[in-house]
Amino acid sequence: MDAIKRKTVLVLFAFSIFVLLLPGCWDSTEANDLAIITAAGLDLTEDHQLELTVKIYLTSTSGSQQSGGMSEPGTGSGRSFVRSAIGWNMADAASKLQQVVSRKVFWGQAEVFLFGERLAKEGLAEPMDFMTRYHTPRERANVFVSKGSAKEVLLLDSPIERSVADALREMAKSQTGLNITLKELAQMMAGKSRAAVIPLVEIKPKQDDQEPFPFIQGAAILKNGKMVGLMNDYATRGIMWLRNKIKRATVTVSPKNTQGFVSLLLLRSRAQLVPHIHGDNWTITVRIDARDEIVENTTNLDLSVPKHIEQLETELEDDIKHRVNMALTQVQKKMKADIFQFADAFYRKYPKEWNQNKDRWDEIYPNVNVRLETNVEVARPGLTGKNLFKPEQR
Amino acid sequence: MDKDKFFNRLLRSVRRKSAYTEACVHDPQTEKKLSDHLSENLEWLQTIYADCSDVIFHEFFIGERTPAVLIYIDGLSHLEEVDQHVLAPLQHDFSRELTLADIRQKIAVSSIKTVKTVAQVSEEVSCGNPVLLVEGEKTGLAIGLSKWEQRAIEEPTSESVLRGPREGFIETLRTNTALLRRRVRSPKLKIKSMHIGTYSRTQVAIAYIDGIAAPALVEEVMHRLKRIEIDGILESAYIEELIEDNPYSPFPQLLSTERPDVAGAYLLEGHVVILVDGTPSVLIAPVTFFSLLQSPEDYYERYVAGSAIRWLRYLFLAISLLGPSIYVAVLTFHQEMIPTSLLLTMAMSREHIPFPALVEAVLMETMFEALREAGARLPKQIGSAVSIVGALVIGQAAIAAGIVSAPMVMVVAITGIASFMAPRFTIGISVRLLRFPMMLLAGLLGLLGVILGVIALLNHLLTLRSFGVPYLSPLAPLKGRELKDVLWRAPRWMMDTRPHLTGKWNPYREAPAQRPGPVDDGEGG
Repeated sequence: MDAIKRKTVLVLFAFSIFVLLLPGCWDSTEANDLAIITAAGLDLTEDHQLELTVKIYLTSTSGSQQSGGMSEPGTGSGRSFVRSAIGWNMADAASKLQQVVSRKVFWGQAEVFLFGERLAKEGLAEPMDFMTRYHTPRERANVFVSKGSAKEVLLLDSPIERSVADALREMAKSQTGLNITLKELAQMMAGKSRAAVIPLVEIKPKQDDQEPFPFIQGAAILKNGKMVGLMNDYATRGIMWLRNKIKRATVTVSPKNTQGFVSLLLLRSRAQLVPHIHGDNWTITVRIDARDEIVENTTNLDLSVPKHIEQLETELEDDIKHRVNMALTQVQKKMKADIFQFADAFYRKYPKEWNQNKDRWDEIYPNVNVRLETNVEVARPGLTGKNLFKPEQR
Repeated sequence: MDKDKFFNRLLRSVRRKSAYTEACVHDPQTEKKLSDHLSENLEWLQTIYADCSDVIFHEFFIGERTPAVLIYIDGLSHLEEVDQHVLAPLQHDFSRELTLADIRQKIAVSSIKTVKTVAQVSEEVSCGNPVLLVEGEKTGLAIGLSKWEQRAIEEPTSESVLRGPREGFIETLRTNTALLRRRVRSPKLKIKSMHIGTYSRTQVAIAYIDGIAAPALVEEVMHRLKRIEIDGILESAYIEELIEDNPYSPFPQLLSTERPDVAGAYLLEGHVVILVDGTPSVLIAPVTFFSLLQSPEDYYERYVAGSAIRWLRYLFLAISLLGPSIYVAVLTFHQEMIPTSLLLTMAMSREHIPFPALVEAVLMETMFEALREAGARLPKQIGSAVSIVGALVIGQAAIAAGIVSAPMVMVVAITGIASFMAPRFTIGISVRLLRFPMMLLAGLLGLLGVILGVIALLNHLLTLRSFGVPYLSPLAPLKGRELKDVLWRAPRWMMDTRPHLTGKWNPYREAPAQRPGPVDDGEGG
């Protein structure tokens, strides 16, 4: 019995080895057989086709001076190259792209998706379907709208970072502008409010010996998947306050009754949306709490006096309110796009009322009453109290 | 048909068994009792020891009248002592015939045994004890004056420690039992003895502490040892392979050590120690996976250091098993998992490599194993040359020649170091060999294959038992209290109980409240 059992086990074992070996490594790809896309841009062509432009990182150091694997990084100049393909939709363009690239196109490391301004106006719903449905694009990739065509941005090179994709990503990450990922964009576009905000990339033109470079400037507002307007940098900061996305900020205010400026560095901030429905009156209370540190004082105010600090706090609150109000008027009254997800806030607190009125949201939204409650605390006066170099300080 | 085959097989095994028994076990002449005719006994013994040039039959007369013969093996007995304390006192001229009891009195040696059969005589002679046979006596005297050249007690090179005793077991069983007895002086330390091997007649001792070790365990060990019928035992590994629970497993199910302090520690936890004559490695049973990952130094260093080193060891054990396979899997199947900048660097370094990552990994790992083996077996002078060449082959030159990529060399090197972190060579080499099938699975199925391999391995480990003790205990089955010696090395005063599965018959090893500190005498600070 034992011998027979042992034989069976052996046969099964050999069989399973063959089963493993026969398919071989059919779906494996060596890392050096990949065309690694670091950024992809989408534009609309004149005849309403989709032009897909990708930035591919050059892993093979061009030229024959390299003998082995000991290539020094950074020797090859122009370490990325750009390829474009035109197709009826995203998938079509992506498959055509493979025809012009010798290696297997690999989307897994694409960290930046750029949409051209024209495409954004036409609507992002179609390419977004591919990006959320197909499994290789990363949900954590950053999305941008480029002023002008996306291809132009991708054709640029970044002198500091490895590629322009890295440069854009790092800029978005530094939190001075908006930082929106593919996942967040999909959530916003598919959410209750069907409005989204995407950071806007602009190209700084060539100046003297300074090469042109892209940078983040303002934001694009999307409603129902279509771009409805652009916001400038100042108003974008207001949007960030409302979306609770302000992480780093240095605010400079000029207090009344004195000359000069006081600059404050934001230490911590929190924004909360509190919805109320009172009959037909829909209200949102925005509570903004912030803690600041003074980093520079060029006024004659002695900031070791609590009264002056209180004055500063009020000034700062006014400043924040001003920014937020500016953003609100543009977005809520003019563009009528609910990029702050008021809809979700209402839905969470008043699901019944929301369900009754969800078809009317477009009418309700511009009339939602927004009340701002800001509470700023200047927590630290910095390392010095009185200005050491201004003896006349009060 | 199958039935016929089965019976044939059965028949063959029975025939083989009887052939073995006839050839080796039954030797009718050894059963014979000694007669009172010296010449007859001599004849028997000389037939047995025919063509044994090292066996000496020294014939002489006791008191110049009674014929006697002293039988010993040249080189195994202390001849000076024999001359001085046995032959000299007996060769005086005595006034009367001496009885065996008188002779016993005359011999100034503390250890004297009576032997009654020819078999006993040859046994004693083989052990180096000279046997004295006297005319007219039906019994002989075995004189305990064995002595042979033996190695000095040295620090075992395979288990060296920074702090702790430097003594190691040697090849002589008696010295080894003495070393054990010096650590556990209580008479509760029992050392049973038996002979295994039809030709080698190797002496095997089974040591345990009565009242701590489970009686059933001792019985089981004795039972398994008695089952062994083999021509000879030349190393404890022979016994290990014959008494394991799962003979096909790649994992060791008995612990072998050369350190008496380790053996002593296990005795105190209720384990059984098997000592084999002729080898310094003693066997400890039962054993768990985690005890193979413990070093005696864990217990001699401070507990913080001991715990940290233990975690490091677990981590590197995992690396030595999975390092290259995860590298291969991620690089060939899951490039999206690697951070972008790392992937770009790796892709760049692989740009001119002719082989797929799997081939590269297998090639380098095989190279490394070959180098290790070559270095281990060579004399020290040549060994260093091997390591220099090896460093070149799997290092700089391989990369410069464009055969392997630099990250792969790093992975191989880290894996190599990791595999040497295992404190026991046996577990290290098991894991080292298992990483080759793991690499294959990784190359064929990616991380899915790695996970499949790990699951299969875990399944195997979970079914494994060592003398009835689950191999992965106390983790599976989970025994929360006992993780004190697995997850970390608890301070000595906290390890107040013995491991449950081996020591539950005598669970407490410390009096309560052993934590040092100021005495609370009620008067306050």
